[in-house]
Amino acid sequence: MQETFLQRRLRDAAAVVVVGLFMFPLFWWALTSFKPTSAIFDKDGIVWFNFKPTLVNYAVTMLGKSRAELAIDSGNTFGVGGASSYDSRQTIIDSLIVAVGATALTLLLAVAAAYALSRMRFRWRQAYLNWILSQRFMPPIAIIVPVVFMFHYLSLLDTRLGLVIVDTLINLPIAVLLMKSFYDDVPVDVDEAAMIDGATRLQIFWRIVLPMVKGGAAATAVLCFIFSWTEFLLSLFLTSSIRTLPVKITTFVTSTGSEWGFIAALGTTAVIPSFIFILLVQKQLVRGLTLGSLKE
Amino acid sequence: MTVTALPASEPSRRVWPRFLTSEHPFPWLAPITAMIVAFGVYPLLYALWLSFFKRNPVTRMHVFNPTWNWEKLFTDERVWGAIGHTYSYTIIALLIELGLGLAIALLLDCDRKGYGLLRALMTLPLVVPPAVTGMMFLLMLDGSFGVLSQGLVSLGLWSPQHPILATNGSALAGVLLADIWQWTPFMVLIMLAGLRALPKEPFEAAAIDGATAGQAFFRLTLPMLSKIIALAVLIRGVDLFRIYDYVKVMTDSGPGTATETLTSYAGTIYFKNADFPYASTISIFTLLLVIVTSNIFIKLFKVRF
Repeated sequence: MQETFLQRRLRDAAAVVVVGLFMFPLFWWALTSFKPTSAIFDKDGIVWFNFKPTLVNYAVTMLGKSRAELAIDSGNTFGVGGASSYDSRQTIIDSLIVAVGATALTLLLAVAAAYALSRMRFRWRQAYLNWILSQRFMPPIAIIVPVVFMFHYLSLLDTRLGLVIVDTLINLPIAVLLMKSFYDDVPVDVDEAAMIDGATRLQIFWRIVLPMVKGGAAATAVLCFIFSWTEFLLSLFLTSSIRTLPVKITTFVTSTGSEWGFIAALGTTAVIPSFIFILLVQKQLVRGLTLGSLKE
Repeated sequence: MTVTALPASEPSRRVWPRFLTSEHPFPWLAPITAMIVAFGVYPLLYALWLSFFKRNPVTRMHVFNPTWNWEKLFTDERVWGAIGHTYSYTIIALLIELGLGLAIALLLDCDRKGYGLLRALMTLPLVVPPAVTGMMFLLMLDGSFGVLSQGLVSLGLWSPQHPILATNGSALAGVLLADIWQWTPFMVLIMLAGLRALPKEPFEAAAIDGATAGQAFFRLTLPMLSKIIALAVLIRGVDLFRIYDYVKVMTDSGPGTATETLTSYAGTIYFKNADFPYASTISIFTLLLVIVTSNIFIKLFKVRF
């Protein structure tokens, strides 16, 4: 079924329009982050490009400036005070620590477990795999109340370590199944040849197989990072002073009005690391989203 | 435990029982098992146990009363409302995301220059934190200065008196829009992976026999993709069923309880009433519904991982 010239152009146009529609919210969001408040809340209609771009929203959320300070800097003494609660520097640091910590812990546990599940034959292997898989389908809300009690008892409530633990728990099934699918791609002959030469499992794993799945492990790490970076429900329940980015951003909506400029600036900042990472692991993304069961 | 003889090449290592050596799966699986049991299984059993307690609102003590919460659950109209919203949300979103996903995947499944970039761009919505997506759509759907609602108003499709997210009938649609924007790319990606893996020969044969594009799609592509579609629907369906972030951020279950889902109702009971046993009961009930519904689906469509 060869396409004619016209069909080809039509397809190109349709593809660009569809992808454009999906990109629009991101574009609008980024645009809003450079708008002064007056351009966001314009009563006369939607402001597209006829505004003076400003970095105030980033200065407040990323540099911790207060609006009064900024007003004085620009020679304007008519300022609004008390913007310190919009300072998100600590939030970004906390989010990074939690996401990196959870990724590291997940990988540590999953890389070992997946190796055994891929290479060793034992009685409850399939049942064990299904059990891991079933964890992925458990709604976090089902465990959150007891986890709050437990964390209270263990003094893990409102700590970064606590968030690392629950994020790891959420990531584990995906990481194990994904890593297993990468190990399964390495021929068993490799292990067997080394075994004949007298290598132990640990040596085979560490010296031979693990280096062969480095790329897969990196992709797994990226996906774990993104899942932890975007996690909302658990950190909403488990923290009050330490806030991860997705939770922090919702606190900018207040009963006296929402700071859309700040929200957009922080939101734009929040998506940048994910975008960079995801473009690096395009190829493995499908596998990650389908628990390692689909290859591309 | 018996100590087995080790290969002669390593005589010094024989002190360990076999199940503690790297030849046995135990040391490989013990840490992860401990982690999941401690922070996954134990809390789940605890939640079930907690659901058998009645919270005394005055003393805040939990008294053992195994039927109290479960009776309350089945007579609670908000629970039935939430079940309705959860299912309609899940089913509508699934149908739209699947249909759009398949269509867009077919559109983007092309080797010409530039399509790789388009496919890469299409994945970006997936990695936006859902809470941020919720905020994004909250801004765009705002009644007075949202770009989408203003667009609808100026096209004459919507009246400015009824902000989309604050009107009973449309609030759910508003929340759905955020979900559809974020997760249609998921379907696109999976369908693309499926399309790429299809064998070429049947299509060549069909073309020779003079099949139209429509016939090829319905008789060949769709049946061959059915397994992948079922898997994608299952994974997405389970996620949709526990929808929380968009609802919490965009409408906070409102207006009234118009967008209240099971998870968001449990959250409300937890945060506003501090009735932990009842919140646990709703959560366990949600889990049961997920298990029953997904198992029916798995049996019906013979999904395999």
